[in-house]
Amino acid sequence: MKILGLLIASAVAAFAAGEITFIQNADVYPISSAPIKGVSLLIQDGKILDMGTKLVAPKGAMVLDVKGLRVYPGMIDSATDLGLEEIESIRESIDTQEIGDFMPQLKALSAVNPDSEHFGVVRVNGITGAVTFPSMGGGRGGGGAQLISGQAALIHTDGWTWEEMEINRGVAMCLNFPSAAGRGRGGAGGMPADVQDMLGAPGAAGGNAQRAILDQIAKLNGFFDDARKYQKAKAAHLPDFHTDLKFEAMIPVLEGKMPLTISAPRASTIHDAIAWADKQNVKIVFLQPREITKAGPELKAKNIPIILGRTLALPENEDAEYDQAFTQPLEAYKAGVKFALGTFTTEFVRDLPYQAATAVAYGLPHDEAMKAITINPAEIWGAGDKLGSVEKGKYADLLITDGDPMDVRTQIRHLFIKGKEVTLSNKQIRLFERYSGRQ
Amino acid sequence: MKKLLFSTFLVLSVSAIAEVPSAVAIRNAKIVTVSGPVIAKGTVVLRNGLIEAVGENVTVPADAWVVDGEGITVYPGLIDGLSTVGTGGGAPAAAGGGGRGGRGAATAATAGQAAAAERSWGPEDRPQTTSWVLAADEIVAGDGRVNTVRGAGFTTTVTFPTRGIFGGQGSIIDLVSGEKPAEMILVPEAGQYIALGRAGGGGGGGGGGGGFPSSLMGIISYVRQIYLDADHYQKVKEAYAKDPRGMQRPEYDRALEGVLASKRILLPANRLVEIDRMLRFGAELKQPMILYGARDSYLPEAASLLKKANATVLLSLKWPTPPARQPDGEEPTDTLRALEQRDKAPTAPAVLQKAGVKFALYSDGLDAPRDFQRAVKKALDNGLSREDALRALTLSPAEIYGVADRVGSIEKGKIANLVLTKGDIFEDRTTVVMVFVDGKKYTPAETAAPGGRGGPATDEPGNPGGNR
Amino acid sequence: MKKTLLAVLVALVPLCAETIVIQNATVMTVGSKGTFKGSVVVKDGKIAELGEKVMVPAGATVIDAGGQYLIPGIIDCHSHIAGDGGINEGSVSVSSMVNIKDIINPDDIAIYRALAGGVTTANILHGSANSIGGQTLPLKMRWGKSAEELIFVGATPGIKFALGENPKRAGNPVGGRGAATPVAARYPATRMGVEDVIREAFNDAHTYKAEWDAYDAKVAHGEHPIAPRVDLKLQALKEVLENKRYVHVHCYRADEILMMIRAAEDSGFKVRVFQHVLEGYKVAKEIAAHGAGASTFSDWWAYKIEAIDAIPFNATLMMKKGIVVSLNSDDAELMRHLNTEAGKAIKYGGATETEALAMVTLNPAKQLGIDKTVGSIEVGKDADMVLYDSFPLSDFAKVEKVLIDGTVYFDRDKELVAQTAKEAEKKRLLEKEKAAQQKSTPARRPNQ
Repeated sequence: MKILGLLIASAVAAFAAGEITFIQNADVYPISSAPIKGVSLLIQDGKILDMGTKLVAPKGAMVLDVKGLRVYPGMIDSATDLGLEEIESIRESIDTQEIGDFMPQLKALSAVNPDSEHFGVVRVNGITGAVTFPSMGGGRGGGGAQLISGQAALIHTDGWTWEEMEINRGVAMCLNFPSAAGRGRGGAGGMPADVQDMLGAPGAAGGNAQRAILDQIAKLNGFFDDARKYQKAKAAHLPDFHTDLKFEAMIPVLEGKMPLTISAPRASTIHDAIAWADKQNVKIVFLQPREITKAGPELKAKNIPIILGRTLALPENEDAEYDQAFTQPLEAYKAGVKFALGTFTTEFVRDLPYQAATAVAYGLPHDEAMKAITINPAEIWGAGDKLGSVEKGKYADLLITDGDPMDVRTQIRHLFIKGKEVTLSNKQIRLFERYSGRQ
Repeated sequence: MKKLLFSTFLVLSVSAIAEVPSAVAIRNAKIVTVSGPVIAKGTVVLRNGLIEAVGENVTVPADAWVVDGEGITVYPGLIDGLSTVGTGGGAPAAAGGGGRGGRGAATAATAGQAAAAERSWGPEDRPQTTSWVLAADEIVAGDGRVNTVRGAGFTTTVTFPTRGIFGGQGSIIDLVSGEKPAEMILVPEAGQYIALGRAGGGGGGGGGGGGFPSSLMGIISYVRQIYLDADHYQKVKEAYAKDPRGMQRPEYDRALEGVLASKRILLPANRLVEIDRMLRFGAELKQPMILYGARDSYLPEAASLLKKANATVLLSLKWPTPPARQPDGEEPTDTLRALEQRDKAPTAPAVLQKAGVKFALYSDGLDAPRDFQRAVKKALDNGLSREDALRALTLSPAEIYGVADRVGSIEKGKIANLVLTKGDIFEDRTTVVMVFVDGKKYTPAETAAPGGRGGPATDEPGNPGGNR
Repeated sequence: MKKTLLAVLVALVPLCAETIVIQNATVMTVGSKGTFKGSVVVKDGKIAELGEKVMVPAGATVIDAGGQYLIPGIIDCHSHIAGDGGINEGSVSVSSMVNIKDIINPDDIAIYRALAGGVTTANILHGSANSIGGQTLPLKMRWGKSAEELIFVGATPGIKFALGENPKRAGNPVGGRGAATPVAARYPATRMGVEDVIREAFNDAHTYKAEWDAYDAKVAHGEHPIAPRVDLKLQALKEVLENKRYVHVHCYRADEILMMIRAAEDSGFKVRVFQHVLEGYKVAKEIAAHGAGASTFSDWWAYKIEAIDAIPFNATLMMKKGIVVSLNSDDAELMRHLNTEAGKAIKYGGATETEALAMVTLNPAKQLGIDKTVGSIEVGKDADMVLYDSFPLSDFAKVEKVLIDGTVYFDRDKELVAQTAKEAEKKRLLEKEKAAQQKSTPARRPNQ
């Protein structure tokens, strides 16, 4: 039975884009609207050409009957280092955290290894899109206290090359905003170690640290000033103008087309960062804010979205409520702040739906949780017209499941990325099959 | 005539010098004996370093120097139950947590260096152990700290070598300043000082680059092994002594000799869990023990554990203080636990007193008289009576160390260790006028003002009843 | 102040060992009664009765668990919480003389958080820095009790061995053996050395045991010889040889798992539980034949090179080959949702609900030799149970109540109240301290 499935899957995978696929009898959960039963989807050229209850399969189409199964949009993890990290303990296999204070020209996309084993592992649980980050400074590797570490990329989790995986090679610019506020690395609580690594070492307290922060901000402002000068010089076609790759990379940021991501656990940092962004006239997205209720009003007023970290995390310190992390998404929802979930890792990306489910257990409405891993990330990352829901005209990134994807018992039966059915096998499944056969 | 001479002497106030009259009589003073009722107006006679007589109607001998006790209170000299004064090093940074590589005299340094040079690969290497050392052998003449703490009213300290795990035995010393350190020794062997590395959860994690042991459990197992070895060693020695023929002689082990020579041990315990742990550990080792630190003994559970075990406690006067404030007014990262501790810790002496637990207070490195006095004041503000406070610094430590027949109160025949003050000894504005150690007279220097007592500006505007 | 604190304390005081009836729950017993809808009666700390309908004894506290699910208390077979001063004695390769029992810290908030995640028993292990590590023991998560009172009474104690990368690390220090300033390396530096350390240690243990056996024999004959020197390190290994101490082996790769099986057999003891054992599926046959249990992660992988062949089907594959398999956390965060880790066994490999649940209840109990008293809801066993608000093998569920020995140690409703009181108390103390400091600020400087 399994072999048959494998054969079919591989046959399907052999279809190039351009072929027509017709999925029929699905219970579709579009996310952008209420669920509909008995729907068919017409997929061509990687997109959902049409969907409805009364569609008919065109001649020559590959027909997939999914009676009794559900169709969801593929899930999107808003913070990973997929493709950039293979084995956590081996630096040679890691390509995040470069050296250099201001490195906006670095692109995570072209360092992504499309054959990383991790893609096969995360696809199997329905993650079809991810934002992969060049890092946020500090921690291991060469990077000390990097201020701008490069451009994060929005990618599909399948493709022959990183070019094919690309959705947006510069979806955000990573800024390590200088702040003194601790990163909740306290006592028995605190973020998982790898998340702390991604965020960098906590700032030091004390008067000297204050001065150091102001110095850093001055440096940052200086860099932005230089970038603006460059922007003007370029527009004015000045005679002695020559291309500077760093400042070229800054232009979309200055034009408000590319947001900056900022890690900001404390409300005070959020406030400072918002004030700074206003002055600089740039767009921002906050990563892993913690004091959401406090910062909520300001975030909502300025329409600034946030990416929340793992719900399954320990409280910040000994005295924090035991369900502090579980209730963060609910906090964001109540504050009216737009949020998406990210796992801030590589190996736990496939648990993204369970991070969302935990939020539901602790009060977040079920639909909001689904949005946080589908349409919200799509919109936050500027791809709301392409991803995040099952709608005509969007990419055919689809999960076909036998249940709610946030339920751990659910199996994914078929997976489509950009209209192509992707094999649901990976290294782990291959090892399983091989050793199942050992007598 | 003598009165005039003496007053002039007071006015001139030179730095600490010892005067050795043959007999001294302090006349018409208030005398707090500790062992008996307070004598409102009485006389104490000292001769040859001992108290010859004390009472309301004591005759002043003809050959005695007379000290006019008008307005003066006489107390027994204070006894510091756990100290490092006298060995020439600095004050320990934090006691109760143990002195891993702690400070000490030159001999201590070399011993420590020797230990550090060779990495230990197990208990057989006797890591961080100098159990045979006696503090008495490390006392140096001219340790400045002697003068300083005498200025607070201390005449006696139980000084311990505090390096490593088994630091060695402490010695009870009288704080006389002289040429011969040997003069100071009251009791050379007061008990073995054991430290268990950094307190609480901050321990090793066991990377173990520095050798065994590198974790708290490693240290505990090491101590356990030492006592097992000592037991075995003793049995073998005894058997060998009885009849050596045909028996392999036991190998000399000075670490074990040091441990066997100690009649009691000191174990650190600050947190409730540590108090619980050490009480059980001491019982397992079957050693008479004193717990030192005892910060959490303000908790009723701790006090009751201590009472049930009939434990003896040295309670540190270094009350926990708030951490330095964050620069940008950030919320302090305090835990509720830490806040409660800081709030309640100074109630510990009163709690122990009420529970009937045998305890003494020790300065824990608070050398400066004003720091010491402030710390005691905190205890007084938190329910400890003056009588109990005084006893916890005089007769109680004397009893704990078995020298109550010699020091700790003003009684005929005891050593002439006295503190003379203008005002109650634990009051803010009190001055220590004179200190007698072994009958030798010392006058605290005026220059001790910054650390001295009753200086012009005390930082705490007298707030009766404290700030609670 | 006193009042609030008292209120907080009262709120947290567990319902003492009284008679409790949990009614109208879906009870997943993992035992002989399977899964049924009904009630459980708790008396004197034990499970007294199970049934669709039970008689409510007079004076009993009734917990109406309508719509909720009751499962046996979760048992985490691999944990490092509740220890003071470090869980590794990594300075020497054989540190069997140290004992977790000496450093139990009942104040570790991780205990409470584990409890709030449904864990009632946790096997506290020494770290993995040593080929042969320290002595271990299971604890019950009786939050609020003393160190002694956390100990799982009657459980056979354990000892932790480690294979693979971790025990080698100190043998390959940064800077390496060719570095300019040589760094003291601790043997072993390779897997070959790890095997050697273990075999050598047991070689010594046999000699030590022989000494003591000879002594015991003499004593039995009425003689009075001097007892040999007690060597704590070898004493623990002697206990292993005498089956009085269970061996837990941290391992990853198939080759080292097999090595350990053969080394154990040669040295005269059995491995009780292989821990992590991420490639256990490759040598499931051999593990089953040896009779060891396996305690593994549901889906962690890729954090080390020895973990690259880890598969989420490990647990079910080994289970199908007849091994008693449990899922553990080795992490203070993961242990809070072992119920959903169990759910993953359904997803990966098709375990049934009961099989999955057993991996975090009855199976670890069997591995720890405590299945006579815990691990399933059966009459006569300890009343260690967890009440969830919905189907427990899912992230949608949350813990409502946790009982240990028939006492409610965690109650979500009470917890929410207590948390508010705690925050109020903290604020009050902070303000009190601030006021006191301001009063004496003018001339005062922090450290006099």
